[in-house]
Amino acid sequence: MKALVTGSNGFLGVSVVARLLEGGDDVRCLVRQGSARARLDAVFARSPGSREVVMGSLNSVAAVAPLLEGVDIVYHLAAGMRGAPADLTLNGVVTSKKLLDAVVGAGRPVRLVLVSSLSVYGVAELPRGSIIDERIQFETHPERRDAYAQVKLRQERLFWEYSERHGLPLTVLRPGVIYGPAGSPFSGRVGLRFGSLMLHFGGGNTLPLSYVDNCADAIVIAGRSKEAPGQAFNVHDDDLPSAREYLHGYRKGVGPIRSLWVPYPLLQVGASLLERYNRYSQGQLPAALTPYRVASTWKGFRFDNLRLKSLGWRQRVTTRDGLARTFDDLKSRNLP
Amino acid sequence: MSLKVAIVGCGKIADGHVEEIGKMPDLARVVAVCDLEPLMAEQLAMRYAVPRHYSDLGELLEKERPDVVHVTTPPQSHLEITRLAVDAGCHVYVEKPLTLNHADSLRLVELVEKAGRSLTVGYTYLYDPPAVAVREIVASGALGEPVHVESFFGYDLAGSFGSALLGDPGHWVHRLPGKLFHNNIDHMLNKALEFIEDEAPEVAAFAATRRAHRFGDVRDAMADELRVLLRGRKTTAYGTFSSHARPAAHFLRVYGTRRTLHADFVARTVVFEDAPKLPSAIGRLLPAFRTARRYAGEGWHNVVRFARSDFHFFAGLNRLLRLYYRSILDGGPPPISGREILRVSAAMEEVFRQVALGQGKEGS
Repeated sequence: MKALVTGSNGFLGVSVVARLLEGGDDVRCLVRQGSARARLDAVFARSPGSREVVMGSLNSVAAVAPLLEGVDIVYHLAAGMRGAPADLTLNGVVTSKKLLDAVVGAGRPVRLVLVSSLSVYGVAELPRGSIIDERIQFETHPERRDAYAQVKLRQERLFWEYSERHGLPLTVLRPGVIYGPAGSPFSGRVGLRFGSLMLHFGGGNTLPLSYVDNCADAIVIAGRSKEAPGQAFNVHDDDLPSAREYLHGYRKGVGPIRSLWVPYPLLQVGASLLERYNRYSQGQLPAALTPYRVASTWKGFRFDNLRLKSLGWRQRVTTRDGLARTFDDLKSRNLP
Repeated sequence: MSLKVAIVGCGKIADGHVEEIGKMPDLARVVAVCDLEPLMAEQLAMRYAVPRHYSDLGELLEKERPDVVHVTTPPQSHLEITRLAVDAGCHVYVEKPLTLNHADSLRLVELVEKAGRSLTVGYTYLYDPPAVAVREIVASGALGEPVHVESFFGYDLAGSFGSALLGDPGHWVHRLPGKLFHNNIDHMLNKALEFIEDEAPEVAAFAATRRAHRFGDVRDAMADELRVLLRGRKTTAYGTFSSHARPAAHFLRVYGTRRTLHADFVARTVVFEDAPKLPSAIGRLLPAFRTARRYAGEGWHNVVRFARSDFHFFAGLNRLLRLYYRSILDGGPPPISGREILRVSAAMEEVFRQVALGQGKEGS
């Protein structure tokens, strides 16, 4: 099978490319011009499979069309993670539309695999402890969420819209917190860092961790499955730690970090005050935290990956090993 | 009466416009937003609860009949959108840079003025608190006569906009005649030209590139350092645009016949510098303390502003918009005259003409 991987040079992308090559797929890697590709080259050095690297972008349908030549399946991983909401929309949603238009223009049934996010669910008003599985509804108040959630939600909806309208076979993966060597040390679900201080909001909440190679496995299995099209799958590992346990493991495995635990009710009060101040001062300080955003991220939910397992996915790297590898890497990188 | 405003172009800067207009419901309200890409129009409308969004400007103008159109698209389309808006009877606020070249700027100003509509341009820093303070001090005569002006505009190519244009050889900035400078130096030149009376001061400019070549395409041809000298009959000015000097400062120094003033647009301080008042070594000891006291005073002044919720990032945009809308409602002249806009545009054109030979040269 010939696969196009967008975002192939990213943290998750290189693992997906490695899995596809191991499985004997013919892989076309889309890489942005000028970006460093040392990690992708390291994968190529290990895996002898058939691959090609194409420098380009998803900025226009004309630019995407040639990338689709001979392609049976597209793994869409590319996502803008930085910038203002408009930039994120441009890089995450508008580029997706160009890709989808090019797929429609190709005039043949190209399979689509989208890497979305658990943040697309509307969870703020669910009771604490609710199980988040694929039956949970999409967020109905995107305007109350942060820009990342807004963009991932709009992107996924766009994919479903195209899939329905044009009969495109679509599979959606919704990973939780993707972690691993070369990844970032802390997810926002653990807390937020202010200089050297970590405001620890996660407490005893389960962290929906997905080790990068396990996540890549899930994506590739979903891409190959005949049953997967038309469905969405939560992607996270088993034996998940709490945010507090993660922080504890970080201290043991990487080094000391100053942290201050903010219990959820106090966090809600703080967010409410910040939101009110934002309104009172007409935006002098941004309402980075609001009660709704706090509830969406830190209320405390449980997660379910049974549907993914029904496809045959099994966790290859245990959470214990994944954390150990990650902390070893973080220690060697000597991050602040 | 509150003016009906439409925003055309839903990129990052449009957020600032919608946010600030939302703070002046007595003067204006955003009735619709428009972008050729419907997803971009949709996201802006969703985040700010704007009633309607469009991807066709003609349809917007017909259905919404706005009083004012804000043109926040890339400059390649400013002239055409302004023409459509003015034909529909609208006043226009055009983001900087006004157009691609001076001839187009002349056309744009002329077509708005001929139609009896009002034009302003996004020279927001001219209305930031430091610029307003400098203007008042100079007008009071406290500096004496301006002899020389230094306008410094620092830029960070690692920021979100810089990363976007370095990440994409097709970015619209690469298609501007003055490339990176074209999108930024209005802010450097307009503050200097304010103190030069001449219609067309002499311009001398040179540019350089300090970045290593990485891409092998149009991005490597983008110069990132610019120095400009302006010479009027009575006043001269230096303009510095730097992508490498750190911190990425943004200041204006006005050297007067009596005193010198340093206005920092990042820290929002405006501080006098003057000669020692006492002789000998004692005279050299005191100015540092006097300057420190002035900075401390400015710091406290800013704390008070913050406490009064009067310390916003877009303070200049807010002030400019209020003045502009008020001028429309009262039938008065716009806050920035066509002459001022065209003097900046002419100086920019001359800068680009001179540095075109140097674009892409290594080192500075």
